[in-house]
Amino acid sequence: MATLNSKIPDGPMKDKWTSHKSKIKLVNAANKRKYHIIVVGTGLAGASAAASLSELGYNVNVFCIQDSPRRAHSIAAQGGINAAKNYPNDGDSIMRLFYDTVKGGDFRSREANVHRLAEVSNNIIDQCVAQGVPFGREYAGYLDNRSFGGAQVSRTFYARGQTGQQLLLGAYSALMKEVGRGTVKMYPRMEMLELVVIDGVARGIVVRNSVTGEISSHAADAVVLATGGYANVFYLSTNAKACNVTAAWRAYKKGATFANPCYTQIHPTCIPVHGDYQSKLTLMSESLRNDGRVWVPKKAGDKRKPSEIPQEERDYYLERKYPSFGNLVPRDLASRNAKFVSDEGKGVGQTGMAVYLDFADSIARLGKKVIEERYGNLFDMYECITGSNGYQEPMMIYPAPHYSMGGLWVDYNLMSNLPGLFVIGEANFSDHGANRLGASALMQGLADGYFVLPYTIGDYLAGSSWGKTAVNHAAFTEAEQQVKERIQKLLNIKGKKTVAEFHRQLGRIMWNKCGMSRNEKGLKEALEEIPKVREEFSKNLALLGSGNELNQSLDNALRVSELMEFSELLVRDALYRKESCGGHFREESQTPEGEAQRDDEKFCHVGAWEYKGAGQTPTLNVEPLEFQEVHLAQRSYK
Amino acid sequence: MELLQQYFQSSIGKKQIVALTGLMLIGFILGHLAGNLLIFKGPEALNAYAHKLASMRPAMYGVELALAGTFLLHICLTVYLFFYNNEARPIAYGYYQPTDRSISTRLMPYTGTLLAAFVIWHLLDFTFSDQTGTLSLVGKESLGLYGVVVNAFKIQWHSGLYILAMCAIGFHLTHGFQSFMQSLGLNHPKYTPVIKIISVFLGLAVAAIFSSIPLYVMFFARIP
Amino acid sequence: MEQTMKLTLKVWRQKDKNAKGAFESYQADNIDAAMSFLEMLDVVNEKLTKEGIEPIAFDHDCREGICGMCGAVVNGRPHGPRKETTLCQLHMRHFQNNDTITIEPWRAKAFPVIRDLAVDRSAFDRILAKGGYISVKTGCAPDASVMLVSRENSELAMDAAACIGCGACVAGCPNASAMLFVGGKISHLGLLPQGRIEAKKRAVNMVKKMDDEGFGACSNEYECQAVCPKKLSVSNIARMNRDYILGSAD
Ligand SMILES: Cc1cc2nc3c(=O)[nH]c(=O)nc-3n(C[C@H](O)[C@H](O)[C@H](O)COP(=O)(O)OP(=O)(O)OC[C@H]3O[C@@H](n4cnc5c(N)ncnc54)[C@H](O)[C@@H]3O)c2cc1C
Ligand code: HEM
Ligand code: FES
Repeated sequence: MATLNSKIPDGPMKDKWTSHKSKIKLVNAANKRKYHIIVVGTGLAGASAAASLSELGYNVNVFCIQDSPRRAHSIAAQGGINAAKNYPNDGDSIMRLFYDTVKGGDFRSREANVHRLAEVSNNIIDQCVAQGVPFGREYAGYLDNRSFGGAQVSRTFYARGQTGQQLLLGAYSALMKEVGRGTVKMYPRMEMLELVVIDGVARGIVVRNSVTGEISSHAADAVVLATGGYANVFYLSTNAKACNVTAAWRAYKKGATFANPCYTQIHPTCIPVHGDYQSKLTLMSESLRNDGRVWVPKKAGDKRKPSEIPQEERDYYLERKYPSFGNLVPRDLASRNAKFVSDEGKGVGQTGMAVYLDFADSIARLGKKVIEERYGNLFDMYECITGSNGYQEPMMIYPAPHYSMGGLWVDYNLMSNLPGLFVIGEANFSDHGANRLGASALMQGLADGYFVLPYTIGDYLAGSSWGKTAVNHAAFTEAEQQVKERIQKLLNIKGKKTVAEFHRQLGRIMWNKCGMSRNEKGLKEALEEIPKVREEFSKNLALLGSGNELNQSLDNALRVSELMEFSELLVRDALYRKESCGGHFREESQTPEGEAQRDDEKFCHVGAWEYKGAGQTPTLNVEPLEFQEVHLAQRSYK
Repeated sequence: MELLQQYFQSSIGKKQIVALTGLMLIGFILGHLAGNLLIFKGPEALNAYAHKLASMRPAMYGVELALAGTFLLHICLTVYLFFYNNEARPIAYGYYQPTDRSISTRLMPYTGTLLAAFVIWHLLDFTFSDQTGTLSLVGKESLGLYGVVVNAFKIQWHSGLYILAMCAIGFHLTHGFQSFMQSLGLNHPKYTPVIKIISVFLGLAVAAIFSSIPLYVMFFARIP
Repeated sequence: MEQTMKLTLKVWRQKDKNAKGAFESYQADNIDAAMSFLEMLDVVNEKLTKEGIEPIAFDHDCREGICGMCGAVVNGRPHGPRKETTLCQLHMRHFQNNDTITIEPWRAKAFPVIRDLAVDRSAFDRILAKGGYISVKTGCAPDASVMLVSRENSELAMDAAACIGCGACVAGCPNASAMLFVGGKISHLGLLPQGRIEAKKRAVNMVKKMDDEGFGACSNEYECQAVCPKKLSVSNIARMNRDYILGSAD
């Protein structure tokens, strides 16, 4: 049994982080350069961590899949980043941001982590501005804020519709500064395929160079995974194509526990699916819900054009069901309700899997110009993809998998249960509980990378000795050998079905049986169907080329094979968690009005799964959640 | 010093020197143009102007040397950059369809080369010609430079070549004028569009006014 | 409602960096007008795989027009015929049934082809490592509100910072010049008070690296601006030129 010691510091909530920082061990400045740290991933979390660690004096090796660290998936975030600056003077505070995030996470996150997140949120904004992130400003030159994702205060900082891009470019520039100084060595187009653990301690990784196919080992005193989320287990998602679970899954198979894999977020405002060939779904910032009204026809199967459906025959179902939050309810509610109305046959568009997002009223009230100023780029994007004009007719939207709250379990220091393995950003399970609020993933990634990990990793390193591991250790040679065998096995199959076909098949099972709404029957079916797909994959995969060259189908096959194994754990977790909470809606657990019903008696804990070997059922470790500051309450947005 | 050396070695440094020399050449061209227009006032005015310049000889050598240097620098650097830029794409596209560059932009190296050839011809033809010899005779009387010019332009192919070269200058300047502003970093959201328009007019005007001389000689000039 | 199309693709195939490449023709059938260009390539690749032909390698990731990973020269234009559109955001409705489409990688000495349509753009990273940043360390930033930035400059900086580093500017430039990319970064940082301090040194160092990487010089043809999917303006190049003079005179 793994031991899950969350290491939450003692003392009042608001002092925990400060007192922890003053107590943790430090690495002598002169010794830092003797430590080697591997950072896998260059998203917000990885890039910020790598740059900050290098500034402190450590030797850092950084790996990423893309041809440049600047292209990590974080680049796609649109809406913004939260901070408790209270510049608009609307009553925001660290306490309130903390409270909102815990409540938004449906009381399934660790309070102490969330409080720390709220505390450092302000430093993030300072840091980013100093780096030259061009946040939106008012005419007088002050920073502007907007309200986002249903928050009742304006605490979101933004850079047009490209906040993730600008924050990532900021972190990337800090990283390149260190690359230029020679203290960071950057390895792009290198995919981590194995974690090397020696005597229970994470000691390095094995990677494949995706251009030459070369397999190589890298040893370090600590390994940091910042490898992002696993929403691509659904095949169609808003994630970039290369998003995967490989690194986390490999760590899991080497003994790291995987926490709450069933917590996945389905984002309500995406462009609906329109064909089998579709390769990904596009998200449109949910800020659109600030001025757009969501509706469907009252009558099921109503195929009239939206303009021909009179007001009284429209169902503005979010406004009807949640009068005080209306169209601005949290993501999980907005998504679920879109699914419900579509399942009732009221969905619109060719597939019936869409709802309207209508700007007609706002245009009438504010004028087209104002709407254009606020969302012009989003309307353009919508038109670019769908070919239809959102000013003239309502947009069509549908929910899509978007984010994974679950991830590798970490303690307060962001270290997994494997000593020496740290996990940051979306890859860990940390701060969002069962549902993530808008504009808080960027905040968390940067908090972890700039302001948490650089301190907490010192605590671990100071207690370990440096430089003892070398890549000629037998564990590395063995790991390399296994990786080569894995690759050869895939190449030897020589079957008839492409990787994409298998991925699609997996995605369909996951979306239908373990998507926005889950029940025991469906989950059990999924547990039967997934192994069959895996079986077929191992016999009938069509994969050409060799392992010694740029082979994108091989890259994909490797990722999909891991996602397939992982998907079972996700379903297993969803089956285990018989309550509804946040993004995880179990049909068996709902209120009479059909709202999610948490079960704090039985499930107020983190469920972290432990690998028990191939073919064995994993075991569950539990970290109880205690709520000191925010009192457990059913979420209500009525 | 090191920085200066680096500047001359850099792509931008070279381009900026091309811009500066280009600007100086524009200055020269405009001055030259003004002088040439004296032809419309008749032989006395033009010849007086030529004598005036000749009388300033010792000082004039300096100016001419500077001008020649400017020309040479401009030519050497642009030729260098031309090959340097070709090298940056060793394998050409199978299908390449740029959309935004104008004809004048595309023709820069060719109008430039044409101009270089023209300048040599022009110097031999007029500047270094015997301005009191047979070529200057109109009827029986030598009309000096005026005579040389008038006689030359009475020959149709001669005028034709000259006009062709003036079109080349027009094109060169249409791109060149706005381009030197950009190269030196003189770009402004409000004024740059205006500069672009001025650039076209400048090209047109220089080509038209210079060409008006042979046209005038061919079709209108009364030989006194 | 949407009819499907039949297309002929002329695609550049090249096994690796050192191999000699050549165009190959492939048939693409049942192409839906709603597909993106990359989805069309996916469909072709699936077909090729089943026929035992190695699929066409092309880089891509976000498929939303923001990561800058995708890109190919389509019918003579980087990212294809639509203005301000990355290849992943280009949809097949902009092509006609029976069209022949030529697809080539970015071509530049500084961007060697590594396979088919995929090129090595690491030169961009190496340029940025020479000064594409503000030298601030984590933790020493003052409160964000102490420094005011005029909205005008902040917007101009954002315009320049919108660059996705895709390399279309280099691909589209007759001289394979990287001035728009480099000028964009120099402008973005140089327009902000916090970035102004290092502006001159930045320009000198980045331009030197740009030249060393083998990109061409600018001849003010403005093709880079015409093909930039993020509308970066050549005024960014002018700003770089200015900072470069100032830096060199220092
Ligand atoms: C469309 C969209 C919009 C969003 N908008 C917002 C928003 O407005 N506000 C907000 O707060 N959040 C938003 N999010 C969520 C947020 O962007 C992400 O959660 C966050 O950026 C994740 O950052 P990260 O650093 O953890 O990982 P990522 O940015 O995903 O980076 C992962 C890195 O790991 C590397 N990697 C992965 N696996 C391997 C491997 N095996 N070997 C080597 N390298 C590997 C990748 O190359 C990459 O560099 C949005 C997400 C999406 C999809
Ligand atoms: C009458 C004489 C000339 C004038 C007034 C003139 C003027 C100019 C100007 C203003 C520019 C623009 C500089 C810039 O883009 O910053 C230019 C560019 C150029 N000139 Fe000339 N020029 C003259 C003669 C020549 C000659 C003789 C050549 C012959 C080779 C030449 C070749 C070029 C080329 C190729 C460019 C473009 C350089 C580049 O963009 O890299 N020019 N010229
Ligand atoms: S794939 Fe990211 S920009 Fe095209």
